[in-house]
Amino acid sequence: MYTLYLKIAVRYLLKNKLYSFINILGLAIGVASFILIMTYVNYERSYDRFAGSENVYRIFMESKEGDTYEESDAQTPNRIGPTLKREFPEVVEQVRLYRFDKIAFKYQDHVIEETKGSMADASYFEVFKYPLSKGNTKEVLKEPNTIVLTESFAQKIFGSEDPIKKTLIAFHKGEKVTLTVTGILKDIPENTHMKTKFLISFSTYNTWFASDEEKKLNWSHCNFFSYLKSDNQANKALLKNKVVASDFEEDEDERYSIEPIEAIHLHSNKPYEAETNGSISRIKFLTAIAFIILLLSWLNYINLSTTKSLERAKEVGVRKVAGAQRVQLILQSLTESIVLNSTAIIIAVIFTIAILPMYNAFTGKELELNQSLIMQLLPIIGYVFIGVLLVGLYPAFMISSYSPSKALKGKVRASANGLNIRKGLIIMQFLATIVLLIGTIVVTKQIKYMQEQPIGAALNRVVSFHGEFLSEMPDSLIRSKYKTLEKELVQFPFVEATSRVQAYPGSGFDNLNSFIGIQYPNGTLDNKKNFYNYSVDHTYLSALEIPFLAGTNFTKNPKGEGNTIIINESCMRAIGIQEPEEAIDKTVNFLGIDWVISGVIEDYHHFGLKKKILPIIITYRNSSNNLLVKFDKAVVSNLGYNDAIARVEDKWNQIFPNRTFDYTFLDQKFDAQYKEDKQFNAAFRVFTLLAICIASLGLFGLTSYTCIQRKKEIGIRKVNGASIVKILKLLNIDFIKWVGIAFIIAIPIAWYAMDLWLQNFALQTTISWWIFVLAGIITLVITLLTVSWQSFAAASGNPIDVLKDE
Amino acid sequence: MLLQLKNISKWVQSGGQRVFLLKDINFWVNEGDFISIMGPSGSGKSTLLNIIGMLDDFDQGEYTFLDEKVHNLKEKHRANLFKQHIGFVFQAYHLVDELTVKENLEMPLLYKKVSSSERKSLVADMLDRFNIVGKKDLFPSQLSGGQQQLVGIARALIASPKLILADEPTGNLNSKQGEEIMEVFTQLNKEGVTILQVTHSEKNMTYGSRVINLLDGKMQ
Repeated sequence: MYTLYLKIAVRYLLKNKLYSFINILGLAIGVASFILIMTYVNYERSYDRFAGSENVYRIFMESKEGDTYEESDAQTPNRIGPTLKREFPEVVEQVRLYRFDKIAFKYQDHVIEETKGSMADASYFEVFKYPLSKGNTKEVLKEPNTIVLTESFAQKIFGSEDPIKKTLIAFHKGEKVTLTVTGILKDIPENTHMKTKFLISFSTYNTWFASDEEKKLNWSHCNFFSYLKSDNQANKALLKNKVVASDFEEDEDERYSIEPIEAIHLHSNKPYEAETNGSISRIKFLTAIAFIILLLSWLNYINLSTTKSLERAKEVGVRKVAGAQRVQLILQSLTESIVLNSTAIIIAVIFTIAILPMYNAFTGKELELNQSLIMQLLPIIGYVFIGVLLVGLYPAFMISSYSPSKALKGKVRASANGLNIRKGLIIMQFLATIVLLIGTIVVTKQIKYMQEQPIGAALNRVVSFHGEFLSEMPDSLIRSKYKTLEKELVQFPFVEATSRVQAYPGSGFDNLNSFIGIQYPNGTLDNKKNFYNYSVDHTYLSALEIPFLAGTNFTKNPKGEGNTIIINESCMRAIGIQEPEEAIDKTVNFLGIDWVISGVIEDYHHFGLKKKILPIIITYRNSSNNLLVKFDKAVVSNLGYNDAIARVEDKWNQIFPNRTFDYTFLDQKFDAQYKEDKQFNAAFRVFTLLAICIASLGLFGLTSYTCIQRKKEIGIRKVNGASIVKILKLLNIDFIKWVGIAFIIAIPIAWYAMDLWLQNFALQTTISWWIFVLAGIITLVITLLTVSWQSFAAASGNPIDVLKDE
Repeated sequence: MLLQLKNISKWVQSGGQRVFLLKDINFWVNEGDFISIMGPSGSGKSTLLNIIGMLDDFDQGEYTFLDEKVHNLKEKHRANLFKQHIGFVFQAYHLVDELTVKENLEMPLLYKKVSSSERKSLVADMLDRFNIVGKKDLFPSQLSGGQQQLVGIARALIASPKLILADEPTGNLNSKQGEEIMEVFTQLNKEGVTILQVTHSEKNMTYGSRVINLLDGKMQ
């Protein structure tokens, strides 16, 4: 019996090639989009899951801004973790991580730089249950000067040698230390906010580069990611409340809080994160798009198959006459929908697998075709299948309800009810299409708006050069070497300017100091606001063309230029001054020093355009972090950046023979801050396009069918003198009406959703009226093109051909 | 007596008025009858046939089939009665386009849940009996009209019904094919199958043993 169902289904699909093609293609696009999006969504949701991760929390800091507390730092002082463990019995373990921005490892003759690593308390493996392939979790990080490497990183350094008990030298901030390998970690999956390739024992810190104060437990150096593990029975909400209420530090303006480690990737966006995290709103939007597309393709399917089923009334009649019961007809119809949908799913899965490498390149994730992905895909495909069954039921019930005597005479016509349902389905398709279109336009407009915003600093042609010292060198020597290097670089015709800086626009919170506690020029003491600080040299502001509102560059004053500062406009307002001129030569006190304001600069976007502008204080110091080189436009365009950079590297290697070399284009780094928004934009566009394709396919199929059904009517009208235009109008007017209805419903939905999305940005574009009009017009044009393609053929045919059949 | 109709009426409402499709139909069919229902277009022949075949409801009257009161039966029971005892032959053959000749023949057996081996032998018998063994793997569109109708009859017969209802079985055929089909019916009737045919054709009528004339839904 079932083989018969199957046989009929397959033959039917093969016979009606256009119908099957449109249906399967629409479904395949829908399912493939759904799988692709949901794979990504699942990956994003899978961050930081390991044995016991549900009991692990990260401690973060909040500070008082006005009357409310705002998240101010993802990192904490070294004291809070141990304190909480001591004070709260439900905290069973804590671990602190000191995250390196970069370390250069030297083994024998070769040097490898790596950014993904931390110093970790010996308790690390009590909290993060990552398995070791060599070594004992309780011992490996106990002793000072020990290091644990992941398998692949160990392989990179030691090749095939057994790394255990081997030593290697690590360089950081010009200080070196010799480390012994005590353990090998199984590679940690990439879906963690704290990507890790090596762990150095925490006790190494004190002998390596910690300042005297940093060696002690203290409340002031917020350089540590702190994690807690609670016991299983702990009341999580209560624990959080207790942490928030605790005041070990006796500071009203700052407090601590905790967040589940599993929630960090999608829910946390604090200053000083370990990496740029994902965004829950983006994930929600993508999920919504995935479901809309899947729904669209199903609506399509229902629509096409119910319409088509009218044509099959005769067959149903025959079956009923041959003794088929309703349930058997329903099964037959379901078999067909399963065959059709399975074909679509198979095509979709093959397509997904084929496109995965491209998709990975696009998303920057490592979604692989491995067991875990398949395990991830299975439930998704399962949902799709359940959906298929549900979706197949409607046409199945409809088709099996025909009265055989009518069906056999071909007298089955769409019932008014069925027609209404189909109208509803089409309107829903239009609705989804218009909403997605509006979404695409708003997202594109927002990205464009952000990119057109003046950054407030000229980052083009500026490259930052940096590297790790592989031998210890006194600061004075570094300074003089830098002077020589800069002098020589400026000799190059392609170098316009050089500058040494601690941080620059787009470098985010890396290398940026933040502090609370400042005395305004008028004597007010402020212990609430966060101020951010970095240091640069004389040439920085002119090289980046950051304009002054008042005052001048760092000047030599009686106390030396080291004590002059330049502030941005936001900072000026924050310290209670309204006019830039008034700020000049005023004194503020922070970090225990009196500073004289020598200049006020215009606000520029240090943290990218998604974040609001924060108060920034720029101090004067010869930093060895970054050497900025601004290239001359004319010369470098002849020479090319590769050659120019190669010549800088030559000089660099001459002057710093024992130093690694690396470089970053400032504009690229700045843009990278909204790489994910751009990806989101691109994804939105692609999937909107696909949704439109699906909807058009459905329309195409539907019109071809309506035209066949109405050909007699069209013939009669033409014989009675209707023109082609009149017939076209007759056939198209319904669709225009449906687009209109969908449009009206779409406006508030789209407006609400996009308004929500824009909340993610400090600088928001406007949702202008023309966006809606444009989306409406695009939908209408696509609809009319799709529909007219066939209605024109129907309208222009010779009526005699149609009527003589009768 | 195979079946009996008592005062059967069927109507539709049109503009507030009852328009009778059938009015006060009374007749019976004995096993072994070969009855022709005659009448012009719109006289209600097919409606009557559909009611007898339990494909259509009626509004008034009583219908007894093998001592069962059809109008009182539940849908499922009625479907079983139908499946067991009635075979349909149509003017337009109504074969399933997606199935081969063999599969079309097999279809009613599947719905009756006949075992696979039995199905095979029944289908083989039928193919043999109607001389269409060579066509068994062809699809309906590959057959002539007469051949299609043969398959249609074979399909109606395969579940060994007591009654064959034929709705203008030769209406789409040329005269020679038509004659062949009528010969088949005659032969079947001789073998004991009860046949009820709707026809326009005086010639076809002569094959039957009894004629029922319909005009405007009433028996003449």
